[in-house]
Amino acid sequence: MKLKRRPMKADVPSTAMGDIAFNLLIFFVILARATDDSHLQWNPAKAKQLEGVKSSRCSVLIDRSNKLYLNGREMGQAQLSQAIDDLLGQAPAGQRTVLLKVHKEATAMYYEPVIEAIAQAGGEMVHILDEKR
Amino acid sequence: MRPRRTSKFLIEPAAVATGDIAFNLIVFFLVCASSEPDSGRRQDLPSSEKTKQEQKTDNIEISLTRTRNVVTVNGDPVRFEELEGRLRRLLTGKRRPEDRVVVVRSKPDTPYEHWIEVTALVQDLGASITIQREVERTVNVGP
Repeated sequence: MKLKRRPMKADVPSTAMGDIAFNLLIFFVILARATDDSHLQWNPAKAKQLEGVKSSRCSVLIDRSNKLYLNGREMGQAQLSQAIDDLLGQAPAGQRTVLLKVHKEATAMYYEPVIEAIAQAGGEMVHILDEKR
Repeated sequence: MRPRRTSKFLIEPAAVATGDIAFNLIVFFLVCASSEPDSGRRQDLPSSEKTKQEQKTDNIEISLTRTRNVVTVNGDPVRFEELEGRLRRLLTGKRRPEDRVVVVRSKPDTPYEHWIEVTALVQDLGASITIQREVERTVNVGP
């Protein structure tokens, strides 16, 4: 007598789909955090009459230990102007916004060269601040 | 008489959907967290050629140091509370943009919060700012 072989079913259990999606999401979130500056430590200065910033081409940050970052990547003052210029490219006026985030206690010897570099690259600078109440 | 049968079904979300619910919750909170808008002050930076044209010898000059309370305006020490009034007086009658340029000099130890406070005040008065670094270069910051 010939026995009929039963076909084996090898499906990915649908129960695991949510978990797979969850893990993928965590992966991409961690990846995204590595390219922004939200993990850097700085306290913004306070000022009045602030406006909202909708979009920006790049973000320059000076943290608590006076280290300089462009889009979350540490950088030296000497390379900053060229790096911003590369990021801005041929973007027209109005689309050349550069966010400047400076720790409130950073001194002029650190932030003035950065302002100069943004100016040289033709960036439209927005100082990111906290509203003074 | 037959008693009326009431149907009491137990309605539960399927356990399979728990992962999807968690996923959607995370997406929701992620979107909420990332949509927090940045707020700040815009400072337009005119080109260096324009800066040279606009710079004149009789510009108002502000010197900043580490001390917040005292700011030097054209060589005179002024208390920070009186700075707005002093600048307003100095800018009175100056209508052309090239006359409304304020040169800001900062000692290397001037904190950013002090600098932004003063430059914001200058901008609010409708003047443009020129940063003069102690080294050798000049950068213009418009209103």
